[in-house]
Amino acid sequence: MDIQHIAKLAALRIEPEKQEQFCQDMEAIVAMVSKLPDAAGVPVTDGAMMLREDVVRTEAFSRDELLQNAPCVKDGCVAVPRTVG
Amino acid sequence: MRLYEKTAAELSHMLQQRECSAVELLTEVQSRIRQAEDTVGAYITLNERSMECAKAVDAARHRGETLHPLAGIPIAVKDNISTKGLRTTCASRMLEHYVPPFDASVMQKIHAAGMVLMGKTNMDEFAMGSSTETSCLQQTRNPHHPDYVPGGSSGGSAAALACGEAILALGSDTGGSIRQPAAFCGVVGLKPTYGSVSRYGLIAYASSFDQIGPMGRSVRDAAMLLSLICGHDPMDATSARRKYPDFAAELNADVQGLRIGIPKEYFGDGVEDAVKEAAMKALGVLEARGAVLKEISLPSTTYAISTYYILASAEASSNLARYDGVKFGYRTPVYDSLAEMYEKTRSEGFGDEVKRRIMLGSYVLSAGFQDAYYQKARRVQGMIAREFDGAFRECDVIAVPTAPTPAFRIGEHRNDPVRMYSSDICTVTANIAGLPAISIPCGKTGVGLPIGLQLIGDRFDEQRLLNTAYAYEESVGGFGDYKAVGI
Repeated sequence: MDIQHIAKLAALRIEPEKQEQFCQDMEAIVAMVSKLPDAAGVPVTDGAMMLREDVVRTEAFSRDELLQNAPCVKDGCVAVPRTVG
Repeated sequence: MRLYEKTAAELSHMLQQRECSAVELLTEVQSRIRQAEDTVGAYITLNERSMECAKAVDAARHRGETLHPLAGIPIAVKDNISTKGLRTTCASRMLEHYVPPFDASVMQKIHAAGMVLMGKTNMDEFAMGSSTETSCLQQTRNPHHPDYVPGGSSGGSAAALACGEAILALGSDTGGSIRQPAAFCGVVGLKPTYGSVSRYGLIAYASSFDQIGPMGRSVRDAAMLLSLICGHDPMDATSARRKYPDFAAELNADVQGLRIGIPKEYFGDGVEDAVKEAAMKALGVLEARGAVLKEISLPSTTYAISTYYILASAEASSNLARYDGVKFGYRTPVYDSLAEMYEKTRSEGFGDEVKRRIMLGSYVLSAGFQDAYYQKARRVQGMIAREFDGAFRECDVIAVPTAPTPAFRIGEHRNDPVRMYSSDICTVTANIAGLPAISIPCGKTGVGLPIGLQLIGDRFDEQRLLNTAYAYEESVGGFGDYKAVGI
């Protein structure tokens, strides 16, 4: 099992000293969940979803309330590393 | 008997009769927390505004206002339920300092009823675990024996109730996280039918399974809290539009002619003899009251653990993609690029169990594997649900153990994820099929660890589950023997 590839898909890094243990655990877990019967042709049941009207709500949160949990704020905006050259 | 040992129903009556005040009750529970918390470790955060709330309830009663029956009753809330202005961590480094700017819909109801929020309880990180050991913040111990786990993931809520650090509690249940800790700690825990309690403000793990539910020290207490929290909510797209009974008012211990199905697959080799014996003895009590026991078969149970872990992890990998260190939560201090910031933030902010489940979810949804895992598990989910439909044509309630073993020792399964996952076998099927299920205490082991009986009902048949549980509770003279007041 390519642990590095799966970690990459999940935007995770596994420290080198933990890789062997993670690999063993993930292989055991995947072996466990592979025990499934041949379910070809069995229909899938979907849960009922009721979407509300998509309307603009003005009583939402203030900028300050939302930014108080942001890890890095500059000039009233969430700050992130430069993404375009 | 101290006030903190009483049930919510008893205290509700005492408060209404002015035999005690909300402030007196709160003061007793607070002092109990100071006494027991060093050993038990149930709470991550205590609510510093609880006294304000208790005083407001007493003042309103003094003015002669009509109050909700649960007004003034102290409640513990699992730390994945958003509480406005009160830290909500999911027991994760990722959200260690997160303070929600809004209340979950259930919290709006709790506050409107005048219940007194004691604090936020410990849990497995992001509700992923069966022992509360994956919490990144602290250890919770079973109040019946501090060397044992309280169960999980709502282990803090169950432990707080068992030792009188709260009178009622809220948990959440994705694969058994209310029922299994309730069983391990000797309390009552109910996972409602999917869609009956709003998930708005419940921090998501696996959205198609997650349900908030009530925990208490009696069936009536759980029924009272369920009536408060259930109901349609437009803020939750999977919330059911229907009316619910007043579950506590409708409680009825008549089980004459009730057909109880006993599926043999839940009483197999993996289940400890002490658990089987306690469950069967409890069913004998119901039989003596006129219930009819019948053996049934749910053969797809064999595939339940695989199905649950594939579907829940797939949903978790998507739900937890939001933790990227940008808008809220932890951000790694050192990084050069955006991609590096994401990866380091997530790797430092999540514990190993959360990483395993995100990676399992990413794997079963990845190119080339989706049909073999995710799509197949969805079809097996349909098989399991249809087997339950068939079973409910021949019986009214299904009875099984809540967990294959009583509480295990702290550290015993910590390094063996497959063994830990397998311990969810008795509870995951109700989540897979969206059914309601309740766990009630039904005995103790030689070392005094509680054992749980689980009753599973048809969709929206909570009243019948509660009635059956109530009949048992009444027959055995209540669950007073399960209080852990020795600490």
